[in-house]
Amino acid sequence: MLWLQLTFTGLQVGALYALTAAGFSLIFGATRVFHFAHGAAFVLAAYVFYWAETSGLGMVAGIVLAALAAMAFGVAMDRLVYAPIQRHEGSFFTVFVASFGIGIAVQNVLGMVFGRSFVTISTGLSRSVKLMDGVYVSPLAWIAVACAGLFFVALLLFLNRTHVGMALRALADSPELIRAYGLDPRRLSSIAFALGSLLVVPSAVITALGSGLNPTLGHHVMLISLAATIVGGIGSIGGALVAGFILGLAENLALVVFESQWTEAVTFAILFLVILLRPAGLFGRHATR
Amino acid sequence: MSAQQDQRRGGAPILEAPILEARGLTTGYGGALVLEDLDITLHEGEVLCLIGHNGAGKSTLMKTLFGLHPAEAGEIRLRGEPVTGADPKSLSKAGIAMVPEGRGIFPSLTVNEIFEMGMWAVGVPEDERAERRDWVFSILPVIAEFRHRRAGTLSGGQAQMVSIGRALLGRPRILLLDEPSIGLAPKLFQDLLAPIRELQQREGLSILLVEQNVREALKISDRVEVMKSGRMIWKGLPEDLADNSKLMALY
Repeated sequence: MLWLQLTFTGLQVGALYALTAAGFSLIFGATRVFHFAHGAAFVLAAYVFYWAETSGLGMVAGIVLAALAAMAFGVAMDRLVYAPIQRHEGSFFTVFVASFGIGIAVQNVLGMVFGRSFVTISTGLSRSVKLMDGVYVSPLAWIAVACAGLFFVALLLFLNRTHVGMALRALADSPELIRAYGLDPRRLSSIAFALGSLLVVPSAVITALGSGLNPTLGHHVMLISLAATIVGGIGSIGGALVAGFILGLAENLALVVFESQWTEAVTFAILFLVILLRPAGLFGRHATR
Repeated sequence: MSAQQDQRRGGAPILEAPILEARGLTTGYGGALVLEDLDITLHEGEVLCLIGHNGAGKSTLMKTLFGLHPAEAGEIRLRGEPVTGADPKSLSKAGIAMVPEGRGIFPSLTVNEIFEMGMWAVGVPEDERAERRDWVFSILPVIAEFRHRRAGTLSGGQAQMVSIGRALLGRPRILLLDEPSIGLAPKLFQDLLAPIRELQQREGLSILLVEQNVREALKISDRVEVMKSGRMIWKGLPEDLADNSKLMALY
């Protein structure tokens, strides 16, 4: 029954990866900014939730504050860091280095404030319930999978049915043409950052309630988001979502064969295989742009 | 020029300001001047064709007139009112539309979505949108046939038609067309521009047309100006240009 247990754990982990990766993919697809600090948005949201919970503000307030913090962080990065660099013809790599630097700074500030060791919030939600002999699933796992489904459907409806959503898809095609249509690419870019950052919140909250937090978690989250974006196909948010699930499942199912320290190697083995066999990713529409 | 204008207006003298006018327009990229002290006047209800070699500054002029590129010096007036420095959105609302060079469409959106977003972008009220769309379909009926298709799958001619259709959705009084025929067969050019000329004459639109395909463009133009190195070097009637063998050989 080990593999069945690991499949359930993998689905929970995969759901969290999927949403975070979808957020990164949304931002990268629409703005072409390599937002490495996306991982920092994740830990920031998680620690804001942790702080709200431990200060007795309650779970709902914690979630709202975490969402506001993540969105404010994303928009601030876009307006105050990326926009000035891009105004001075900053290259892709200048933006990347700036993002990387801020990511590390946020991680260290959180470490100074909350300490570098693992913290977790204990709730009944993370207690495993016996599903059948040898298979235990916590309510949090079901919440994670439901959240991934819900947010993904909402995101798809938003991108396909609303004008702002269409404009975000158009922004990915050509920011120059967006201006000729009378729209402001800067404002759309901020919306992409706000939404992409919002997508880390369910994962951040569920991680804080479940496996626990430490400030360096941002790097792992970022790595997975990046891998899922490439595996899924750059520009395909659905692809990033599916790839997030695949990576979460693979990471856990690999435990049947390998020791736990090999899980990241499994992620990268998948990434390399996809790059070799299907460079455009599983759902990529354009191999090059 | 004025003889033709007078004739069209039944001999009445022209008193009102030109619909679009630029004086002393100067701009460039990173210190290199592309437009230098350029004057251009577009009158109400005319098609003005702008010709010139690559790098003459035609596209930069179009972008500057539509607020996509900043003017370093000079003034742009819309019906006599200064609009220098206005952004594309406010110019769209004031009745200008631009069909940019190249494929003016978003490959990942469907034609319907491009139209819907295009109308939303320039603030067409929601209850008028269906009517506007039908109106554009009545001018360029072929678009209706592929309205559900993703724009990235369209042929060059179809994409250009969608791009022009999108520009018309705001019911502009001034249309800036930047090389609509680029990459199209001459036959397609006529299919594309004949309905636009018809619309222009019916509704008195003013069109500024940049074209490489001079012979075809002259057929639908009222006036021609020739641009070189950021300035206007010749202006006149299409038939005068056609008679001017020296210029015709050049363009």
